[in-house]
Amino acid sequence: MRIFSTDHKVIGKQYIGLALFSVLFGMVLSLIMRFHLVHPDTKVKLFGLLWPDGAPGGQMTPELYLSLMTMHGTIMVFFVLTTAPQSGFGNYFLPLQIGAHDMAFPVLNMLSFWTTALSLLTLLAALIVEGGAPLSGWTAYPPLSGLGKITGPGQGLGQDLWILSIALFCVASLMAAINFIVTVIELRAPDMGYFDMPLTCWGWFVTALISLFAFAVLLAGGILLMLDRNAGTSFFIPGGLIVNDQIQTRSGGSPVLFQHLFWFFGHPEVYIAILPGMGLISTILSVFSGKKVFGYKAMAIALLAIGGLGFVVWGHHMFISGMSPYSSIAFSVLTLAVGVPSAVKTFNWLATLWGGRLRFTAAMHFALGFVSLFITGGITGLILGQPGLDIYFHDTYFVVAHFHLIMGVAAIFAIFAGLHYWFPKMYGRFLHEGLGKLHFYLTFVGVYAVFVPLHFAGFVGNPRRFPDFKEYEFLKSVMPLHIGVTHAAYFLAAAQLIFLFNYFWSQRRGAVAPTNPWGATTREWRDD
Amino acid sequence: MTNVARTGQALLIAASSMFFAAFTSAMVVRRGLSGDWITPLLPTWVWATLLLGPLASWLIQRGHVRPAMAAGAALVSSQLALLAGLRLFVIGEAFFGVLIAAHAAHAVAGVAAIGRFGARASLFWHFVGALWIYLVFLFEVWA
Amino acid sequence: MAIAILIAALAGATLALFFQPRWWFPDAISAHAKDYDAQLLFTLWVVGSIFVLAQGLLVWVIFRYRDRGQAPSVNCGSTKLELLWTSVTAMVFLALAFAGQGIWAGVHLKNSDPSALRVEVMAKQFAWSYRYSGADGAFGRVDIRQIDDAGGNPFGIDSKDPKGDDDLTAPILRVPAGRPVELLLKSRDVIHNFFVRELRLKQDVVPGMTIPLHFTADKPGAYEVPCSELCGLGHHQMRSALVVMAPDAFEDWLLEARQKVVLP
Repeated sequence: MRIFSTDHKVIGKQYIGLALFSVLFGMVLSLIMRFHLVHPDTKVKLFGLLWPDGAPGGQMTPELYLSLMTMHGTIMVFFVLTTAPQSGFGNYFLPLQIGAHDMAFPVLNMLSFWTTALSLLTLLAALIVEGGAPLSGWTAYPPLSGLGKITGPGQGLGQDLWILSIALFCVASLMAAINFIVTVIELRAPDMGYFDMPLTCWGWFVTALISLFAFAVLLAGGILLMLDRNAGTSFFIPGGLIVNDQIQTRSGGSPVLFQHLFWFFGHPEVYIAILPGMGLISTILSVFSGKKVFGYKAMAIALLAIGGLGFVVWGHHMFISGMSPYSSIAFSVLTLAVGVPSAVKTFNWLATLWGGRLRFTAAMHFALGFVSLFITGGITGLILGQPGLDIYFHDTYFVVAHFHLIMGVAAIFAIFAGLHYWFPKMYGRFLHEGLGKLHFYLTFVGVYAVFVPLHFAGFVGNPRRFPDFKEYEFLKSVMPLHIGVTHAAYFLAAAQLIFLFNYFWSQRRGAVAPTNPWGATTREWRDD
Repeated sequence: MTNVARTGQALLIAASSMFFAAFTSAMVVRRGLSGDWITPLLPTWVWATLLLGPLASWLIQRGHVRPAMAAGAALVSSQLALLAGLRLFVIGEAFFGVLIAAHAAHAVAGVAAIGRFGARASLFWHFVGALWIYLVFLFEVWA
Repeated sequence: MAIAILIAALAGATLALFFQPRWWFPDAISAHAKDYDAQLLFTLWVVGSIFVLAQGLLVWVIFRYRDRGQAPSVNCGSTKLELLWTSVTAMVFLALAFAGQGIWAGVHLKNSDPSALRVEVMAKQFAWSYRYSGADGAFGRVDIRQIDDAGGNPFGIDSKDPKGDDDLTAPILRVPAGRPVELLLKSRDVIHNFFVRELRLKQDVVPGMTIPLHFTADKPGAYEVPCSELCGLGHHQMRSALVVMAPDAFEDWLLEARQKVVLP
C-alpha cells in the first residue's frame, strides 16, 4: 500500500487511521482533564515530566488544563468527527455505492488526506513550542486569541500554529468537498438517479455541500484573526484595551464579528459531523430489520433541509454575546425549526424498525444506541434554543452535556456502527460479534453515566472551562457529581480497549466473511 | 472541457465566492460599526487592470495559452504593486489588502491552472477575471 | 431484548434524575427569575414527554419486532404520515419557540426603569469592579491612562473631571432589594461574562461595548458571581458577589461609602 496512493479505498483507510489516532489522543486528554477537575491539588510526576512548565513539580497549572482542553476540543471536532464519517467511510464507499471506479479527482483526494495529516501535525506541534498550546478553547474568541501572548501562556506561537492548522484543515476540506460533490453529480452509474442513491450517499453529498460553504468562511475568519495577531490590523480588536497593564493601541474592531464568522462555519460543522452518520444509521436499521428504509424520499429531503437550515441558525451560539436581541429571537425560531427535520428522521427510523424482523448484530446495537442517544442529546436543544432559557444555561455544563451526547457520543456510535457493518468489506473478515456487543453495552452505559449527570451540574450553574471548582461555595455541591462522572469516564475509556483489541485482532484473525454477509442490497456488496 | 472539469470548477467558484462573500460582509459590518473608517484611495491605474482578466479569458478561448498567462501575470504584478502601498494598521487599507492578496492568490492559481490544463481551466479563469471586476467596483464605488 | 431493557433502564434513570432535588436551580430572587423557572418547567414537561414517547417507542419496536422468525412487513413509506408528523412537530417546536420569547423580551427588549440605580461594571483579567455615581448622580469621565488597580482606580476615573471626584468604586455589587437596578457592563481586555444564578441572568461582557442589563432583586442575601466566558488562566478564579440589602441598610452603606470617597 503506497502511502501516497490515489486509490479511494486506501485513502479512506488512511482517514480512518488518522481519526483513530486522534480519538485516542483526544480521549487521553479528556481523562487528564477529568482527573484534574476532581484532584486539582494532586501532584502527578508524569505531568511534571511531560510539561515541566505547565505542571511544575507535577502540579498542573490552570493554563495547562485550559490548553489541554483546547486541544481536546479541536482534535475531536476536526480530526475525528470531520474526518472518519465523511472522508473515511465516504471515500471508501461512495464510489462503490454509486458504481464509480474511484472519486472524480484521485490526485486531489490524496492531497486532501496529506494536507489533513499536515494540519494535524501542525496542531500537535503547538503542544511542544514555547508557551505551549493555546488556552482559548476550540472557539478561539478574540481578543483573548487576538492579541498575542500578553493575554496568557500559549497565546503566542501556540495560537499561531493552531490557526495555521485550522487553515490547512479548511483547504483540505474544501478540496475533499469538491471531490465528493463532483463524484455524486457526474460519476453515478447510468441507472442511478439522485433518488436511487442510498441514504449514505445522500449523507455524504449534503455534508460535502455544507463543507464547501462553511469551510470557506472559517478560512476567511482565520486569516483575519491571524492578521490581527501578527500584522497590526484591528478586525476584531476594539479600542480602549489595557491588558496586563499594557495599553493597546489598536481600535475599532469587533469581537462579536469574529463570533459571527466562526459560528457561521461552526453550526454547519456539527451537521457535517452527524449527517454521514444519519445516512449510515438509516442503512443499518434497514438492513437489520429486513425492510427498506421508511420514507426514503422524505429522509433525503430531510438531509437537505437540515443542511440548508443549518446555515441560518448560527446565532444560537451567540444569544447573549451582545448582538442585537432581535437577532436572537430570529435565530431562536429558526433553530427550533431545524429540529423538525431531525425529529422527522427519528420518526422514520422508528417506522423502519416497525414491522421488521430485527437482527441484533453488533452494528445494529450501535445503530439502535445512536437513535436513543440522538433523542437524549437532541431534545435538550429545545431548551438551549430558547434564548430566554439559554440565559442561564449558556457556558454551563448543560451545554457540555448536550453537545457531547450528540457529537461526542451519537456521532461516535455511528462510526462504531459503520466499522462493524463495513469491516467485512474492508478486511474480508468479521469484527468479533461477541466482543462488539460487550463493547457496546459497556460503552452505552458508560456514556449515559458520564454525560447525563453533567446536565445537573448545569442546573446548579456550573460554568464550563473551569480548571477547578475550588473557588466557589455553590460548586461544593457538584463535586460528588463530578467525582462520579470522572470514575465513569475511566470506566468508559477502559471499555474502549475492547474495541481496540477487536479492531486490530480481527483484521488478521477475524472469521472470514462472505461477499454479502448481511444480505444488504447496496452496490458495495456485489461481487463485481 | 469534460463535465467533471466543468462541475469541479463550478464548485471551486462557489467556494471561492463564499470566501470573498465572508470578507465582504466582514468589511461591510466593520465599516458600519466604528467611526474609524477612512476610504483608501487606490491609484487611478487600477481601472486599467480590469481589462487584464477579460483579456486573458479572450486569449485563452482562442487557444493562446502563453499570452493568456502573461496577461494573468501582469494582473498579479499590478496587485502586488497595489499591496505595497497599503498600510495594514488603517482598517480600510487592511481589508483592501486582504481582498487583493486573496485575489492575487487565486490569480496565481488560475495562471498555473491555465499553464497546466490550458482551455480546460478557462471557467475558473473567467471567474477570476469577473471577481477582480467586482472587487475594483467594491473598492472604488461602494467604499 | 437486552438492548431494549437497557435503553429503558437508562432512559428511566435519566428521567428519574430530573426529579431529584439536590442538583437544581438555586432560589429565584426576582420576578424575572420566577418567570424563568415557570417557562423552564413548562419546557421540561414538553421535552420530557417527547423523551418518554420517543425512547418508549424505540424500546417497544425493539421488543415487539425482535427476530422470532416473522416475515418483515413491506411498508416503506406514507406521505400522509410524513405530512402528519412533520406538521405536528413543527407546531409543537414553534409553539415552544414563541412561548419562550417573553422571558427574553422582558430582559432585553424592555427599557430599564428611569429611576433605576445605575451601576457600572468593569471586568478585567481577573477581577470585577463596580462604580456608583456620587451624590451628583453623574459618572465622571474615564481615561485609560489613569487606570491604577493598586491605587483603587480600576475604571481609570479621570482626575480632571470633577463629576468623577465623588464616584464610588467597589469590589462587590451591592444593591437594594425591591429597587430596579441597571448594570452597564464593560470589559477592558477580553470577553468576560456576568452571571447571577439566583437572578437567572447572564450576559457576555465585551470589550468595546457597554451592555446594559437590568433587574430587580427581591430577596436580601449574598450571591456568588462566577465569570462565565473563558478569559484566560484566571477565569475560574474571577469571582465576585451580588449583595442584595434591605433598602435602609443599602442607603446607610451608600451614604457612608460615598462620604469616605469625598473625605479621604
